[in-house]
Amino acid sequence: DVPVLISEDTVISQPAKILNFLRKQKYNADYELSAKQGADTLAYIALLEEKLLPALLHTFWVEAENYCSVTKPWFASRIAFPLSLYLPGRMSREALNRILLTRGGPPLYSLIEVEAQIYRDAKECLNLLSKRLGTSQFFFGDTPTTLDAFVFGFLAPIYKVCFPRVQLQEHLKQLPNLCRFCDDILTCYFRLTVLGHSPAGQDTADANLQKLTQLVNKESNLIEKMDDNLRKSPQHPPRKLTTLKLAAGGEESSPLNRLSP
Amino acid sequence: TLCFQAFLQMCNLPVRVVCRANAEYMSPSGKFPFIHVGNQVVSELGPIVQFVKAKGHSLSDGLDEVQKAEMKAYMELVNNMLLTAELYLQWCDDVTVEEITHPRYGSPYPWPLNRILSYQKQWEVRRKMKAIGWAGKTLDQVLEDVDQCCQALSQRLGTQPYFFNKQPTELDALVFGHLFTILTTQLTTDELSEKVKNYSNLTAFCRRIEQQYFEGHDKDSSTTVAARSAKRSLLR
Repeated sequence: DVPVLISEDTVISQPAKILNFLRKQKYNADYELSAKQGADTLAYIALLEEKLLPALLHTFWVEAENYCSVTKPWFASRIAFPLSLYLPGRMSREALNRILLTRGGPPLYSLIEVEAQIYRDAKECLNLLSKRLGTSQFFFGDTPTTLDAFVFGFLAPIYKVCFPRVQLQEHLKQLPNLCRFCDDILTCYFRLTVLGHSPAGQDTADANLQKLTQLVNKESNLIEKMDDNLRKSPQHPPRKLTTLKLAAGGEESSPLNRLSP
Repeated sequence: TLCFQAFLQMCNLPVRVVCRANAEYMSPSGKFPFIHVGNQVVSELGPIVQFVKAKGHSLSDGLDEVQKAEMKAYMELVNNMLLTAELYLQWCDDVTVEEITHPRYGSPYPWPLNRILSYQKQWEVRRKMKAIGWAGKTLDQVLEDVDQCCQALSQRLGTQPYFFNKQPTELDALVFGHLFTILTTQLTTDELSEKVKNYSNLTAFCRRIEQQYFEGHDKDSSTTVAARSAKRSLLR
């Protein structure tokens, strides 16, 4: 059952319980929000789950070309054999089941009609989110909150995953403020993946970055020594050498640096 | 049903409520209530609102784009939490199912049809609950969710007469329908209605809409709670 948070000896699953646990540990992104803004958060999350989620599930798990060429191999590569043969299929069936049970039924009699309806609803939902966001950086001003995390969680897969059938992605790209919103969060909190590393390459990216940092630090030590020597010798005028500093990785003390999506 | 009646009253459209045992089958979408206007039949709140709008009546014209987005979001919150909680309580809580739902749902039909139809409906609802992840919830968790939803609605309403200040909108009709039903339907326990009663501005809101749009218009508005709930039960 994912997502799962493992903290020391505690194992917690389900998003609502994880959020509660984090709040008890005094991590709360909604601390500054007013009561009304807290209520708005719940309402917009409900909107995402009712209107956007069915189309998202469909794009990932039901649309045959997408599922066969992207989703199934991707998930299967991260699950141990022999579960990798069975679990993706089960997740696909559950997604279709959920879509049909919640959105199917008369007057929509065929899967094609249901699909058309859920995509219409999803596009309307994206339009509503775009209107609500307007020109602000985040949904409630300049600092991100739980709602921003939820919206990002729904939008980023649509925005970034390269599927063969992309009607939802194309619609999203016509809403520049939502694209900017996703890009902002990716650059601020998921810095490493903006460089274009695939999820599977995350660990190698970390290791490479560490090696690079060490190399550069060695180089800069050498250059400093040379600089000192030069300064001590009177024949040459003193020169200013800028020491190399790596922009990403080592310098930052933020714990979010190592997060993978 | 009440949210539809309220909505139509707010639009100043006269409406007559009729109870039918085969309501589910008369409706084009299998869901009720539905409205029958001339030779057209329209069911479910979304299409009814569109239909009424096409005829020139709308409650949300005065809202700007951001407010309309907010209104739609809150309507989804009510559908997502309140409606699902009501369904859960009716069909997944064993005590309520045995004592209230089965007899009520099957009442228009002779035995054994009454049992078969209500078991079939129960199975359908439980399947849906399982698909959305509510099957594993306990009654307490569901009541927690209702409380959270009511808290959000209460905070959004604040001290205003309606959700978007002076004029009622579809959201007001929807919220009124659900809350009034919860407050007035007799169940095995009062826990659900207690959750709503904790928020005084919500109960005041319901009373205000009832007085403004239902009393006086409905001749037997002094009808007791039991009769109202019985009337609603046939349509559920």
